[in-house]
Amino acid sequence: MSILATKDTHVVIQGGVAGVNAAKRMAEFRYMIKKPLNVSAFVYPPDAGKTNEVICGNQTVTIPIYKTIADATANHPEINTSLVYVGADRCYASAKEALDDSHIQTVSMITEGLPEKDAKLLGKHARTLKKTFNGPSSIGVMSAGECRLGVIGGAFDNLVACKLYRPGSFGVITKSGGLSNEIIWICSQFADGITTAIGIGGDSYPGTDYVSYLEMFEKDPQTKAVVIVGEMGGDLEEQAAAWYGAKKRRIKLLAVVSGFCQESLPKGMKFGHAGAKEGLQGEGSARSKAEAFKKSGATVPDTFGALGPAIKATYEELVKSGEVKPIPELTEAEKPALPRSVEQGMADGDILVTPLIKSTISDDRGDEPYYQGYPASELINKGYDITHVIGLLWDGRLVTKQQAEIMRRILILSADHGPCVSGALTTIIGACAGIGLSQSVAAGMIMIGPRFGGAVTDAGRYFKYAIDNKMAVDEFLGYMKQNVGPVPGIGHRVKSLRNPDKRVKELVGYVKSLGIATPHLDFALEVEQITAAKKDNLILNVDGTMAAVLVDIGFPVDSLNGFFVLARTIGLIGHWTDQKRQGSRLIRLFNYLVNYAAPSKREVPPLK
Amino acid sequence: MAKVLEGPGMGLLKKWGLLTPNYVVVSSSEEFDQLAQANDWLQKSKLVAKAHEALGSRFKLGLVKVGLDLAGTKAAVKDMLGKQVESVTIREVIVSEAIDHTDEYYASAKSTREGVEVMVANCGGIEVEANWDKVKKILVDIGEVPTDAALAGLVKDAGFSGDTAKKMAEFLKKLYTCFDNEDAQYLEINPAVQNAAGDLIALDAVTLLDGDAKFRHKDWNFPFAAEFGRAYTKNEEEVMAVDAKVKGSVKLIEIPGGNIAMLPAGGGASVYYSDAVVARGGKLANYAEYSGDPPDWAVEVLTEKVCSLPGITNIIVGGAIANFTDVLKTFGGIIKAFRKAKAEGKLDNVRIWVRRGGPNEKQGLAAMKALQEEGFNIEVFDRTLPLTDIVDMALSKK
Repeated sequence: MSILATKDTHVVIQGGVAGVNAAKRMAEFRYMIKKPLNVSAFVYPPDAGKTNEVICGNQTVTIPIYKTIADATANHPEINTSLVYVGADRCYASAKEALDDSHIQTVSMITEGLPEKDAKLLGKHARTLKKTFNGPSSIGVMSAGECRLGVIGGAFDNLVACKLYRPGSFGVITKSGGLSNEIIWICSQFADGITTAIGIGGDSYPGTDYVSYLEMFEKDPQTKAVVIVGEMGGDLEEQAAAWYGAKKRRIKLLAVVSGFCQESLPKGMKFGHAGAKEGLQGEGSARSKAEAFKKSGATVPDTFGALGPAIKATYEELVKSGEVKPIPELTEAEKPALPRSVEQGMADGDILVTPLIKSTISDDRGDEPYYQGYPASELINKGYDITHVIGLLWDGRLVTKQQAEIMRRILILSADHGPCVSGALTTIIGACAGIGLSQSVAAGMIMIGPRFGGAVTDAGRYFKYAIDNKMAVDEFLGYMKQNVGPVPGIGHRVKSLRNPDKRVKELVGYVKSLGIATPHLDFALEVEQITAAKKDNLILNVDGTMAAVLVDIGFPVDSLNGFFVLARTIGLIGHWTDQKRQGSRLIRLFNYLVNYAAPSKREVPPLK
Repeated sequence: MAKVLEGPGMGLLKKWGLLTPNYVVVSSSEEFDQLAQANDWLQKSKLVAKAHEALGSRFKLGLVKVGLDLAGTKAAVKDMLGKQVESVTIREVIVSEAIDHTDEYYASAKSTREGVEVMVANCGGIEVEANWDKVKKILVDIGEVPTDAALAGLVKDAGFSGDTAKKMAEFLKKLYTCFDNEDAQYLEINPAVQNAAGDLIALDAVTLLDGDAKFRHKDWNFPFAAEFGRAYTKNEEEVMAVDAKVKGSVKLIEIPGGNIAMLPAGGGASVYYSDAVVARGGKLANYAEYSGDPPDWAVEVLTEKVCSLPGITNIIVGGAIANFTDVLKTFGGIIKAFRKAKAEGKLDNVRIWVRRGGPNEKQGLAAMKALQEEGFNIEVFDRTLPLTDIVDMALSKK
């Protein structure tokens, strides 16, 4: 048995992320007591029509999001309670909408910083409708073994530590969220735990007072005693004391009040919750409240620390009188536990997972990326360059200064080749059509293939094949003619022996000047001697030169196209930003650039 | 609750049709001289000059001068500006027109749980404080407005008659409209006086607004003043600026002369910790509180300020069992600031006492405990120790 939040409570949560987090906490509680989740719907107009997924134990529950409370209760007529997690500037309307719905009996508001005027209006509205408006600034309601509204009670291990999987005998009413949890803990350690704990919120004008809840507790046979944690300010504690002292009550009452420190502090100094302030004429002091409780016959410990022993004494009295039967404790093995996550299981070392992928190049699980184990910042600070990072990520090694310089030159020579080539033209067309950078550059990239920029890998593959198999040039050309076709890396559309490609000359000249062994480059140049003699434009092109040089400095064949792709990306980004900067408009081909060779207009035959 | 100084308070009254004396708020002598040339009334009227700061007992401190001519006012303005009173520097002076009058009245409106109390008395000034029984009141129910009949009855009950009664009823109606529309919590006009034409004028006002309603008042372009008879300190203002920025809350109030520094979590628990210190005969050096799972850097800023309090001997890092404030994360901010303070020598001879529970409590408390190895004088307790027992230990161990 419990009050306000019971086994029959069905909830709609008004709000976004904070509401979803509350639902997750509520789901943990429901899993603990082996009941299905009691959140039926969310109301959050920006996400209306979508769903929220909430993990409840070992399964995921899908909960619909609605635009209005009316939509939610029409689809889920079992809803009788709303939790409000809407910002202070909008939550008056949200709470009123919930109160006005005939299905909803209780509205509990977590929102802090609601204007007092709004809180007073909502409180009055609820009283007129004979409904309950709990809050604002309420941590929620916890009924042990039955229902949790909001995040009250904290993390799962705390729910178990506080024995919230089954009801005890103590009711709790507090203004403070943190102290509600503290009292729940104390009741579980010094007595048999709680029935229901309610946070009414620490604002000046909470929608509900202690008395309304004391009356509910008085009617709940499971609750034998109630603990009130009061604060200075207002007169709700005095009203509670008056209620308790008015006639013989079934429940026992224990109360503590905070704010005695005010007596020795500068007057008017505001501490703690918004509601914790003395009146202008000094009413609502901690002392007057504590005196009122004492006079009413309630147990009033001198300090918060003395509350535990006082609760213990009350519990022992209840056991002695036979009103309460001690509940046998669960053994460690019987206590509820959340299913462990894979991460937790792995951390504990008793779950084995076969990895889905394997990576041998980098790791970003630390505070910065590591390339082959080397922290990026250390590479920078020790003078390494982007070419060294290419070496690490593409071939798993730190290249030498000399190799890095060759790579740098290759990248510079291949960065762009004007707007007319397939890749650049495609990117420009994309830019003119209003397509974004990554898509336009990717479109240009798609052009890289056997006829444009994509021959580096193949050129490297066959030059390497020749060297590995110690082939002579004639033998190689014969092999290629029979098995492959034209030699990749040989031949140019516009350049020829008489009109040489300056990029090739530059690269070959530099590499040869280094005095290093370049078997593949040497072989490629020999091949050129033969092919160019046959036809003027069958020269070693830039793809072939790059390929031979890169194989000579040890790059694996499969990485070679990467050098062109990387270098040309720089150019393609340049072309896209260039068009963007100019504000270029959509372009299309002129009709005169097309040879219209399709059949001329004719009659469409009847459909057969 | 947010207190508003006289200038902006008068501005709100004027906005809702209540008459106030002419007034100017100045922050330099030059500014006043220029205003004096531009405004006829400053040259012709008898004037009142008051320090425009959140100070109690201004009259006793000599910060209110009455019956001045222009020259006298100039001198008073010059004298007050820049004056140091306790921790407060006088930055502004309000100069208003003195209104010749014979009778003084009292009028106020106050928010209560049941609605709004509208109060009025047929006497004002200091007299009303001595004759509180002369103050008559009606309760306006939540969401209602006072009827003309109710107001007429109220002023009659308070002893007003004839034309003055009619004018006071109208005055109260405007006062209520102002109160209701400006999200006020307390609005007191004392005294209200009648000018030569018989119109009621608000001579002085106390205005407390609901700071939480600021989002719907675009014209609240004034700062809120501290409510305890002094201006906010630099540290308090810095913590308030952080508080305004973050999810959750961080709060700080400095109390000069104390030696027990407070760094507890939770709006509720923090007051119980303060109570425990006072109950054990300790002297609080401050009030502080963090709650609602604030970011670690916000707690770090608060901790820095607390560690910088002069003459402290103990720091109480208390807290109940949190519902959703991450203990490890918030303690991370505290630990960072502790290390910095220790390096700056601020924690020499300071004992630190920790008690806490909540999400990630084991790891958070272990991190605090580990500070012992770094030479901190720190004692760490978990949820099994009653809430305020660390205060008992701090104050018994001499």
